[in-house]
Amino acid sequence: MKAMVYLWQKKNGEVEARFSVDWEACERMEITREDGRTVCWLREPMPLGIAEESCRLFNFAGKRGDSRTPDQRAMSLRQSAESAWDAAGEKGVSVLVTSRSEGEREKNAEWRKANETEWEVLSAAAEQAGACLQGRSLLREEAMAMLAKALPTLREREPLQALQLSALRGAVRLAAAIAPRAAGSAGSRRRQGLRCRRCGSGEERMRRTRCASCGRSGCAVCEACAALGRSRECELLVLGAEQPGTALAALPPAFEDRWGLSPAQRSAAEAAYRFLRAVGEAPASIAVEPCQPLACSQHLATQALRLLRRMLASLALTSGRSSHADHPARSFLLWAVTGAGKTEMIFPLLDAVLRAGGRALIATPRRDVVLELAPRLLKAFPDVRQAVLYGGSEDRWTNAPLTIATTHQLMRFQHSFDLVLVDELDAFPYHNDPVLHYAADKARRRHGATVLLSATPPAKLRQRIRRGQAGCARVPVRYHRHPLPVPQRLSLPPLSKLVQRRELPRALLAPITVSVRRGAQVFVFVPYIKHVLPVVGLLRRAAPALGIRTEEIAGTYSSDPERASKVQDFRQKKLRLLVTTTILERGVTIPKSDVFILGAHQSTFDDASLVQMAGRAGRSADDPFGRVYFGSPYLTLSQRQACRQIRAMNRMARRRGYLRQEGERA
Amino acid sequence: MRLADRLHEWLHPRMPDCVLCGQSIGRNASGPLPVRDAFFRRILREGLCGSCLGWIPWILTIACPICGRPDRCGDCLRRPNRPFVRSRGAVRYDDAMKELLALYKYRGLEKLEPILAAMLSAAVEPMLSEMRFDAVTAVPIAERRLEERGFDQAERIACAVAERYRIPFRPLLKRTRHTGKQSFKGRRDRIEDMKGTFAAIEPPPALGQASRALPFPQSGPRILLIDDIYTTGSTMAECSAALRQAYPNGEIHGAVWARS
Repeated sequence: MKAMVYLWQKKNGEVEARFSVDWEACERMEITREDGRTVCWLREPMPLGIAEESCRLFNFAGKRGDSRTPDQRAMSLRQSAESAWDAAGEKGVSVLVTSRSEGEREKNAEWRKANETEWEVLSAAAEQAGACLQGRSLLREEAMAMLAKALPTLREREPLQALQLSALRGAVRLAAAIAPRAAGSAGSRRRQGLRCRRCGSGEERMRRTRCASCGRSGCAVCEACAALGRSRECELLVLGAEQPGTALAALPPAFEDRWGLSPAQRSAAEAAYRFLRAVGEAPASIAVEPCQPLACSQHLATQALRLLRRMLASLALTSGRSSHADHPARSFLLWAVTGAGKTEMIFPLLDAVLRAGGRALIATPRRDVVLELAPRLLKAFPDVRQAVLYGGSEDRWTNAPLTIATTHQLMRFQHSFDLVLVDELDAFPYHNDPVLHYAADKARRRHGATVLLSATPPAKLRQRIRRGQAGCARVPVRYHRHPLPVPQRLSLPPLSKLVQRRELPRALLAPITVSVRRGAQVFVFVPYIKHVLPVVGLLRRAAPALGIRTEEIAGTYSSDPERASKVQDFRQKKLRLLVTTTILERGVTIPKSDVFILGAHQSTFDDASLVQMAGRAGRSADDPFGRVYFGSPYLTLSQRQACRQIRAMNRMARRRGYLRQEGERA
Repeated sequence: MRLADRLHEWLHPRMPDCVLCGQSIGRNASGPLPVRDAFFRRILREGLCGSCLGWIPWILTIACPICGRPDRCGDCLRRPNRPFVRSRGAVRYDDAMKELLALYKYRGLEKLEPILAAMLSAAVEPMLSEMRFDAVTAVPIAERRLEERGFDQAERIACAVAERYRIPFRPLLKRTRHTGKQSFKGRRDRIEDMKGTFAAIEPPPALGQASRALPFPQSGPRILLIDDIYTTGSTMAECSAALRQAYPNGEIHGAVWARS
């Protein structure tokens, strides 16, 4: 869309450039305002991104003591607009400036007099719009949908006018969805390119297309977050204000546990709680948005400062954490082994934050987890309002203190939550996706904190923890206090060979038979979908030798229409053996189960995925010693790392005395 | 990027991913395509993976010579006078195609544009093998919708096809009033609703007529009218009628991406 750029003179004589997406609303607003007046404006509306950049340029020049005459200012506005066009890649665009004549002021005043009631309605709507958009970051279309739900009486252009009014009053901020390229730094290597304000992606994830709403031939569109509506250079992003108050500072000093946590769970949850309190006492962090580019000298200075700080931080690693006192890390990892009972551990944290009047968010990668978690949380916190968000959910525009969302929905928030809990941060959509990390940081309030939950944190995060840039508490033992089953290796030929040979080796069939005899459910993981059906065939052929019926063996994969029912059958022991891909590596708990991973050397199975699959075994207190096998022709780094991680956790549990003693009963 | 990664990429070039399902495209995606143009064939082969290509319900046999429907068609018999000569569709409008069009139109995934254009060429090519056109034009969308969406889908794919087959693209139509979304209406409503929605641009631009150079010139220009979907034919009929008014001897042929 397009926006008008105008100069606004405040009462104290200061002049500021602003842009307006609804010029009419701005004009009419002016009359009511005592604090200033419009001086002049650019005659033609400009594409939103360019309008924003022009304002920034003008205001930036004005920061260093403004002694310009009105004519010089108009000239300067023109120049700013022209260099903004230039920076956007369109050379030689010239713009014209119109000055305010007295007649128009009168006309607006007359309009106000004639339409007093209409004005009142709009004014009230603006107030409400500001309130319901708090903590949100919405594209124009989304904001319109939200306003349509909150204020169904508004028609046609009125929601936009209400937004503009609300922006003039400072209740919301209007911006281009893609932060424009900074002008003036052309040629420098550090030149800041376009950046999507919603998902943080850079220019490499964007595509330039012809756009009819701003009239440019190369208007950039972000493809990284296209799943949630189109973020483009001329699209309007509505950013709600941050709610006042700091919930984390108001946390009670004592940690309270109403949920009967085990000692290991309790100590980790307490560590997380201490972290929340430490964050609450610390000053607010800097906004996640890339800061405005500074003048060259200043820029160098900040660079040098940053370098110095980093050096200090690395020194501090050895000498305690003195320098972290004033720059506390805002994220904390709860590193809990598979089956440790992560959900129970977050209850006390949620409880404390909610009771202190804060807002909490739980983000998880999968929709089914969201749907499963919501009733559990409702039971735990019956008097707290919930918003359950996923693609196509009813609560899309609801604001509630407790929000449970799929990770993509995070992009619709900004500075909204005191506590952001990110579940399974290494699972599919989060894995290697900087977009969702950006979104999770953005959704957190400036005074807020992030707690990450994972059984298999990615290497980068582990490194940050080692360097002291993020806190961490480990839960090295499962809730039933037995050690994790350590994988054993089976030397098998590669799967493709097995399929070709149409026969499974005894080395594999023998341990499966043992599992079947002891009455366990058997998971067989294969690396690719194409292997599922052949392996099912082979196992069915060997069924008599295994001691099960052929119909008790099945296979499933992501696009299998009967996937849900097969998993259900497997749970109910109607199926004894399930061949599957990595889709079942998380979130499935089968009381008595053994795990066979075939083709464990394949690159689709990284160490995280191997640890997760191994974590399917021995999850219940009745059968804590499940068996796990890695079947592969040779040992790979991933397999070795997975085993090492599992052993390390078991060692730590033993050292801390979390493990159940021989002969001890529950 | 690490040196090793770069080296790996160089030695083992990655095939592009399928724009629909995101799976990597196999080296030997095969299967017949009803498109002859090499450029469009490459777009389809390199843009979509084998299984997504397999989902496309191409219209290969035509049952109705007028609207190009693959099944028996009562609509065209019932229609008393029809301002267009014939219309051809490239694919059936099934659920998969509905999703594809929604991705492009409503989600604004503009990278699908060349793919849709390539698919449309399956409808255009057979017509081009029989005759030549003097101009290509598209059914316009409403001004307000254009501003919201940022692009006019029919115009975009029409432009791509026109450019490839070297026929001049001319905007010849405009909308005179705003109608609600067609997808929420029944057949009768649609036909009623469409009346008088379109008009030719005033004054009608002069179209160069290639057939004038031939021994048996046609009397008027031959125009190819392009749209994304043909459901009841009311849009096509209205637009053709408007074009006929502007070019009284003209011959209007339609080509649509999907025939529902």
